[in-house]
Amino acid sequence: MNPRFVREARLWLIGIPVALWTLLPIYHIFLFSISTKDSAFSGRWWPDHPTLRNFGTVFRQEHFYLHNFWNQIWNSLWIACASGVLTLLIATFAAFAISRLRVRGGRTVMNMALFTYFIPAAFLAVPMYKAMATYGLLNSRWSLVLAMVTLASPYAIWVLKQASDRLPWELDEAARIDGATPLQLFRLVYVPLMTPSLVAIGTYALLLAWNEYLYGFLLLSHENTIPLAVGLGHFLAADDSPWELLMATALVYALPPAAIYYAFRRYMVGGLTAGAVKT
Amino acid sequence: MASVCFRELKKNFGATRVLHGISLDIADGEFMVLVGPSGCGKSTLLRMLAGLEDITAGSIAIDDRVVNDLESKDRDIAMVFQSYALYPHMTVRDNMGFSLKLRKESGQRIDEGVAKAAKILNLESLLERYPRELSGGQRQRVAMGRAIVRDPKVFLFDEPLSNLDAKLRVAMRAEIKALHQRLKTTTVYVTHDQVEAMTMADRIAVMNEGRIEQLGAPLDLYDRPANLFVAQFIGSPAMNIFDGVLSNGTVEALGSRWPVSPAARGADGQAVKYGIRPEHLQLGRDGVPAEVVVVEPMGHETELLVKINDIDLIVVMHGRSAHVPGERIFLAPQAANAHLFDAASGRRI
Repeated sequence: MNPRFVREARLWLIGIPVALWTLLPIYHIFLFSISTKDSAFSGRWWPDHPTLRNFGTVFRQEHFYLHNFWNQIWNSLWIACASGVLTLLIATFAAFAISRLRVRGGRTVMNMALFTYFIPAAFLAVPMYKAMATYGLLNSRWSLVLAMVTLASPYAIWVLKQASDRLPWELDEAARIDGATPLQLFRLVYVPLMTPSLVAIGTYALLLAWNEYLYGFLLLSHENTIPLAVGLGHFLAADDSPWELLMATALVYALPPAAIYYAFRRYMVGGLTAGAVKT
Repeated sequence: MASVCFRELKKNFGATRVLHGISLDIADGEFMVLVGPSGCGKSTLLRMLAGLEDITAGSIAIDDRVVNDLESKDRDIAMVFQSYALYPHMTVRDNMGFSLKLRKESGQRIDEGVAKAAKILNLESLLERYPRELSGGQRQRVAMGRAIVRDPKVFLFDEPLSNLDAKLRVAMRAEIKALHQRLKTTTVYVTHDQVEAMTMADRIAVMNEGRIEQLGAPLDLYDRPANLFVAQFIGSPAMNIFDGVLSNGTVEALGSRWPVSPAARGADGQAVKYGIRPEHLQLGRDGVPAEVVVVEPMGHETELLVKINDIDLIVVMHGRSAHVPGERIFLAPQAANAHLFDAASGRRI
């Protein structure tokens, strides 16, 4: 047989199960969200009477669990954006200082930050709760933002540091001779050249915060401060959960990340793997 | 325009000493080339002048003002890097105007400065392009343009032609030299290529292992190398050098007697290195017998690789040659052009 055919056949053999594995749950969510309450558990591949009414119910907040839908999605957005921006600021400055200004002890700081990943986030939840309580931040969206920044920053610093290391050193020297101060070097040379990596890391932190459940559940408990992820969890508190509404909300919740990823996909692949190989 | 003065300049990287007390005066408007093999400290010396490396000991002065503790930007220098170091996200115009922009010059002044430099370097049609859209030679010209725009006291070049192909290198060499003749700005130029050094320099400092081996005009270095290192480094093809013993005003080496310049001093029986440049070994009817191994015709001259007692020598003949490999010939070295070095110290006798 044609070796190319064999190779492609093997790829398909792996690709098709993986695609099914990934897409089936999403299809399931979609199926639920267009089904009526009675037919949601019918076990069919397509509902008898597909409907978009569930989405209407969600958007008009016409259910007990959905009374704060718009509020919660706004919280999610606010927290995700704030986490993304803060992580990006911290990681960019840190990577610039460690990689380009070669601050003494910079590498140690980065390695210590990375070391925190040895401790599972779930273990850190309790001390984090305690710390937020001490600062009086419980039930403030800032508590979740700060927690997410803490979790995202080490990786962000590491990726950006690796990416900065690949910028030619002569550029810094040329800029210094041209008369640039470190801040001008940062603003006029470093940031423009790092843009792809910065977009990737900003998106990474944003999506991390958008998808976070555990910390949101723990640190925020008011109906009007929680993000939608936690709000979705509340659906399961009832014996008779409205699954079709839960899935419709979940589908809406899943769209922004997909859109963001699609918009920045060019940067995501290049940016996140930029630091992967030491060259 | 400015003079540059190094005084007892030392540089350590950790425990390794890379410069052992360099003292060197560069005159106003001079084109000084620092040449030497890689690792000899020439780039470090240049980078110290640029303010990119700390000074371990000694001093650097530009126009009699010690600049040891001045930032690069306050030294009034401009540097051209081997890798061009153009800002990839800026157009040629922005690259060239960057230093003026940082100095907060007016937009009009920046435009004028860039236009003037672009005219000198024939870059006018490329001003809106990005570095990635330029060829190697064009990038190098932009890098030079960026230096010119600043109108600095001193130009620093760090192996600027190493990344170019051979033909372009020759063209750029002439361009840089012409530029210097036009602007007359003091220039310090680092290269490992002795041909660049010979063709461009007013004076050359030959460096080796953190020291200046010899300082002088190109042809002085060529005609009177102070030691074996300079003798071997300057000139292409390299000088023929072999062991011998002084005896009665000649050198006995390779089973023959080699004539010595009357100016050379030395005691009978002294072990020496005998050096003679390939073009100073002429062919004669008698003299030192040798066997032709390889004939390399260049057109305007012919290089012969010959063997005497298993030692390879190179002979350069003007014009063309009918010699063939395996042929026996006689070499007639010219006494006036022979170089003698002490075998132990390597110094010229």
